Amino acid sequence: MRPVGSAAPSLAVFGAQLRDRPLRLFVSIAAIAVGIALAAAVYLINESALAEFGRATRELSGTADLAVRGTKAGFDESLYPQLATRAGVRVASPVLAREAALVGGGTLSIEGVDPLVAAQLRPELYGDLAGRYVTLLEPDALVLSAAAARELQLAQGGTLALRVGVGERTLRVVAVLPEGATTRRVGLMDIASLQWLTGSLGRLTRIDLRLAPGVDASRYAASLVLPAGVDAMTPALEQTRAANLTRAYRVNLDMLALVALLTGAFLVYATQALAVMRRRRQLALLRALGVRRIELRLAVLLEGAAVGAAGGLAGTVLGWLIARLVLSLQGADLGAGLLQVQTTQVATPPFALAAFIATGVVVAVAGAWLPARRAAEVAPARALKAGDDDAPARVHERVALALGLLLSGAALAFVPPVRGLPLGGYASIAALLAGGVLLVPAFVAATLAHLPSPRAPLAALVLARLRLSIGQSAVSLGAIVVSFSLMVAMAIMVHSFRDSFERWLGAVLPADLYLRVTPGADTFELTPAEATLLAAVPGVARLELRRTLQLSLARDLPPVVLIARPLEAGAGNLPIIARATVLEPTLPVAYVSEALHDLYGVPLGGSVELPVAGRKVRFAVAGIWRDYARSTGSVIVDLASWEQLSGERRNTEASVWLGARATAQSVGEAISARLHAGDALQVIESGALKDRALAAFDRAFAITYALEAVAVGIGLLSVVLAFAVQALARRAEFGMLRHLGLRRAQVLAMLAGEGAFMGAVGVAYGLLLGLVLSLVLVYVVNRQSFHWTLDYVVPLGQLLAVALTLVAAAALTAGLAGRVATSGSVVRAVREDW
Amino acid sequence: MRRALWLLAGWAVAAAATPVVDYPPVRPGVAVALPADAGAHPDFRTEWWYVTGWLAGPDGGPLGFQVTFFRTRATLRRDNPSAFASDQVLIAHVAVSDPARGRLWHDQRVARAGFGLADAAMGRTDVHLRDWSLSTRDGRLQARIAAEDFGLTLTLEPRQAPLYNGRDGYSQKGPAAGSASYYYSLPGLAVHGQVRRGAQVLAVTGSAWLDHEWSSSPLDEASVGWDWVGLNLDDGGALMAFRIRDREGHVRWAGGTWRAADGRVQVLAPAEVAFTAGRRWRSPRTGIGYPVQWHLAAGPLSLTLTPLMDDQESDSRQSTGAVYWEGAIEAQADGRRFGRGYLELTGYGDRLKFR
Amino acid sequence: MSAPLLVLDRLVRRFGPDRPAVIDGLSFTLEAGEWVAIMGESGVGKSTLLNVIAGLDRPDEGAVRIDGIDLGDLDDDALTLLRRRSMGFVFQAFHVLPYLSVGRNVALPLSLNGVDERQVRPRVEAMLAEVGLADAFARSPRELSGGELQRVAIARALVHRPRLVLADEPTGNLDPKSATQVLALLARTVRAYGGGGLLITHSRAAAASADRACEFDGRALVPLAVR
Repeated sequence: MRPVGSAAPSLAVFGAQLRDRPLRLFVSIAAIAVGIALAAAVYLINESALAEFGRATRELSGTADLAVRGTKAGFDESLYPQLATRAGVRVASPVLAREAALVGGGTLSIEGVDPLVAAQLRPELYGDLAGRYVTLLEPDALVLSAAAARELQLAQGGTLALRVGVGERTLRVVAVLPEGATTRRVGLMDIASLQWLTGSLGRLTRIDLRLAPGVDASRYAASLVLPAGVDAMTPALEQTRAANLTRAYRVNLDMLALVALLTGAFLVYATQALAVMRRRRQLALLRALGVRRIELRLAVLLEGAAVGAAGGLAGTVLGWLIARLVLSLQGADLGAGLLQVQTTQVATPPFALAAFIATGVVVAVAGAWLPARRAAEVAPARALKAGDDDAPARVHERVALALGLLLSGAALAFVPPVRGLPLGGYASIAALLAGGVLLVPAFVAATLAHLPSPRAPLAALVLARLRLSIGQSAVSLGAIVVSFSLMVAMAIMVHSFRDSFERWLGAVLPADLYLRVTPGADTFELTPAEATLLAAVPGVARLELRRTLQLSLARDLPPVVLIARPLEAGAGNLPIIARATVLEPTLPVAYVSEALHDLYGVPLGGSVELPVAGRKVRFAVAGIWRDYARSTGSVIVDLASWEQLSGERRNTEASVWLGARATAQSVGEAISARLHAGDALQVIESGALKDRALAAFDRAFAITYALEAVAVGIGLLSVVLAFAVQALARRAEFGMLRHLGLRRAQVLAMLAGEGAFMGAVGVAYGLLLGLVLSLVLVYVVNRQSFHWTLDYVVPLGQLLAVALTLVAAAALTAGLAGRVATSGSVVRAVREDW
Repeated sequence: MRRALWLLAGWAVAAAATPVVDYPPVRPGVAVALPADAGAHPDFRTEWWYVTGWLAGPDGGPLGFQVTFFRTRATLRRDNPSAFASDQVLIAHVAVSDPARGRLWHDQRVARAGFGLADAAMGRTDVHLRDWSLSTRDGRLQARIAAEDFGLTLTLEPRQAPLYNGRDGYSQKGPAAGSASYYYSLPGLAVHGQVRRGAQVLAVTGSAWLDHEWSSSPLDEASVGWDWVGLNLDDGGALMAFRIRDREGHVRWAGGTWRAADGRVQVLAPAEVAFTAGRRWRSPRTGIGYPVQWHLAAGPLSLTLTPLMDDQESDSRQSTGAVYWEGAIEAQADGRRFGRGYLELTGYGDRLKFR
Repeated sequence: MSAPLLVLDRLVRRFGPDRPAVIDGLSFTLEAGEWVAIMGESGVGKSTLLNVIAGLDRPDEGAVRIDGIDLGDLDDDALTLLRRRSMGFVFQAFHVLPYLSVGRNVALPLSLNGVDERQVRPRVEAMLAEVGLADAFARSPRELSGGELQRVAIARALVHRPRLVLADEPTGNLDPKSATQVLALLARTVRAYGGGGLLITHSRAAAASADRACEFDGRALVPLAVR
């Protein structure tokens, strides 16, 4: 076998495409490239973020083997001497991490350490500070990382004012770490000073452990008996946890990239399929000259592979550049703020990059598979006969396969998540999409068959032509069907999400004013005294206090949020979606979010153990509530029971209902003035809060909209190109029609009609398919990745507007293609052999 | 190391922008009183318990060892209620000179006092950093050190009366009146216990010397180097001698205490102590040259000092920033062994880099 | 019947000012019922001539008159309508639309001229019978041989009884036997339907099927004796 060698003449025929149809080839490559670029960019941004996350962790904890970690609120410092003296521990470095609100806005992460101990884990970082230990121990001394110093425009000797409780404290910058020490924007303080400064006496958030040589870190971690809510984690486990945090978001972006890739595959398919059709005679000639079937097939596949390789390479490079741009513009958190790290360094994992290029090739070869088979099946004798250039499409042969795919797609939608990922949902979408597209020719044929034959000769011509060329029409429709149906599905999901989110906001924000500690600032809490002050502010009709804190319920899952707030009987003030009928009567009640219910398998009517002040306390699960704000899980308990159980009387948020004649602004100002909290405490009107939440929502989905536009653009482009190619191929036909006495405008109208019809069929079909896909997205993919339900809402007007635009665009571009095709000499056209 | 730390003491003042601490001064006429003064004096800036000695195993091969606990008080206000807020910083340093293997085993620890993890008790010698400790039990001292690749478990039994250096323990350290420390020694401690080197545990016996010294007054700016020697004399006597050098290498101050075999104590004036450097050894690691062979004239004594091994350099730049030579030495008089002890040579390298 | 069917009056057509004229002052008259063959070497301008006559190309000088109407007076729309009503074309490459049945192909000119659909089918079937393809109405062009396709094309060119039939190398793609049959058919049907026509060919045998033959040299149509 010398298939490749003797595929040369067939390659030459296809290679001619390069000269012949550079634009078509370019679009195929571009489609693959866009898909790969998006996938690669999402992947690289996230990899960089995770790498940076890992680096930041390592930089500050140095050579620690284990990190014993609680949540933001921390744990009791008595754990520190226990661990420090435990056999197997060489160094135990206590850490208190706090976000401090800065006077004048913004926050700064400050890590309180015992420099004498921390230096043993990170000698190269503290080596520079040796001899200044005592300086660092002083209560107002702060060391800044280079990044923090740059951003705050501070140097050694400068001062920084912090908002502490209702007062201010000024810190002295006693040193700035060298640039290479850490890329984080962080300050270092003596742990004693930070505990005192932030009112966190007795609290730690982390203990970094270096173990004795030969001690296995993960086994040692498992052997530790820690208070409830505190976990020992190896750096690898911390990475996993961070990766888990962004996984659902990332997978959804990857899914969007997949849309572009699939569109690209169909574009390759369409290009190659048309090329094969157009070149039937050349192919037949090659066969007549002695080229074997397998060689023809290989030639088509090779061309597909070349397109894929070019697209894959271009896409990978483009993706890397996009990643760098995004990282330099907005940091590494993919716009979702999930990982709070900053990096401008793009990870460049060689295997992953190679895999992206390979993906391009695989996708393109898959696209070229059927055309390659068709090329090999060309019957030389028939194809060489004049007039047989437009073989009637075999419409019905794949209907069985298509129906099989659709059925399995429906079945796959019921597969439970695999390792927390909705793989079944994605497989379902892929199967439905493939089946749907395979069914396009049959659908078009059925539609055409059921259309009455029109009286107008032009319309009759259009219909007759369409009926005959179903094969070609279906091919060019594939790409628009794929991209439009996915767009419809995404649009429905996002719209349903937004709609549900908006209604949910209304349910969770019933008050007029909200007071909360500046997000990220741990240096402020509402004391009972301050709460009393607040309630006495004129215009405040009702005040509801609330405390939120983080809990860690499992070592490998991100922390969940506990909200302690006054619960009315039956929790009528919550967006509850399911209630338990029977409860253990002696337990305090808790309402878990859907995510908590899913992720931790907490049963409705059962109980959940929550760490309260280092102990485990069982709560009865009285209901499941919908929480769109915290995809990692949340739980609501009654504030009074919480205070009783934990002994804590401090709150982080308050809702205020206004009296009859009070205005939000005046009461807000009165509250700010009364508390002297400055910008550590935010007073927000509920309307503004809702607007802000929705704006954040839209920002997070901006990338979704952009990707949708790209996918639909590519789909439309493929339709345009298919028209252009067909129009050019039909020049002689148009010439003849002009001889028969058709005006040029009539010929163009005919073409536009064809375009409009094809567009309408493709768009209608895409709409139908998209509705089906959206069900999978909303009820399977969304549910399994984010663990919350949505109310299914179809943005009909919006979709119809896009659909009409697409049909109009198809008609317009078909007409434009016709202008080109009919612009030459009519007579020369009829003399050309077609 | 002690001198290194004392030299270091300057940094605390230099670095503190707002001195908020009044360290108690060292006054002449205030006598050291044992056993109360055996414990920590947390108000003073610097304090150390310093054990040095010679050991011999069953095979007879000699080992030198030193176990040191330092305490220093940082210039912090004492109003922070945090459990971490102690102003007491403890440093431990331990070294074993092993001429048979030609190496110096050493390790060090630093910690703030607190949480029961590190502490220096008042009223008796009882200081520890986690599981490293020097404590008093039944009138004996116990040193327990478990370092990474070696360890010491030693019982130190006093056989001689305490030696009060200077005037009743008031030891002048420079020409200025305030340059002084409280300083007593326990020479001639009988040692038995175990030394672990790697996996090998060795039963040992020997003799040792304890220094306990505290002060708030650092050496003055001009003092950059310090040579110190403490010797258990074979005849049952004890000798301590030191000198302080300036930048040019001139002697800025000197002193010592000699107790003869009959118990008679002679406090040596600066003029009565003379160190004369002999053979030098250059460290292959730091490139610093140290005189390791000495001639010492102290009162009536004229001694030659020879190191147990040349390479007894300690590099603690990771913790305190100091590089110095400290090691076991043998003293000869008229060609015959006269005693054994420890020699410390400080300030031969760069000026301490933390400055 | 006042004016001749086709008058070419001192026609000049050149492509570009510096290039020699393809048609250089040609005058010619075709009477109704006449079936004239025009011969000439390749590239001499026969097709240009046909374009100008069909109104698909405009002469630089001179006039084309069909039934007395000067094509120069008509705009593109009027020309198109004239073509639709009064002309029929036969091409070398047949140009039978593959996606329409034989009958629908032939019916195209009738539909375009707004003939009542009820009359279309009988007329087409009659026409098909005329060209020897009775019962072919519902057949697909794909099933036909080259000779049969050209018969379909002839049927389509004549079904609406055009005044003027223009045939451009109609036998170029046919074997000699089919060619003879097609030419005979053309001559017969053109005469039977009362119009006139021009047959452009470089085959002497084909030219012999016409009433008379001329040789085109760009300047004049010189009568030829081909029989």
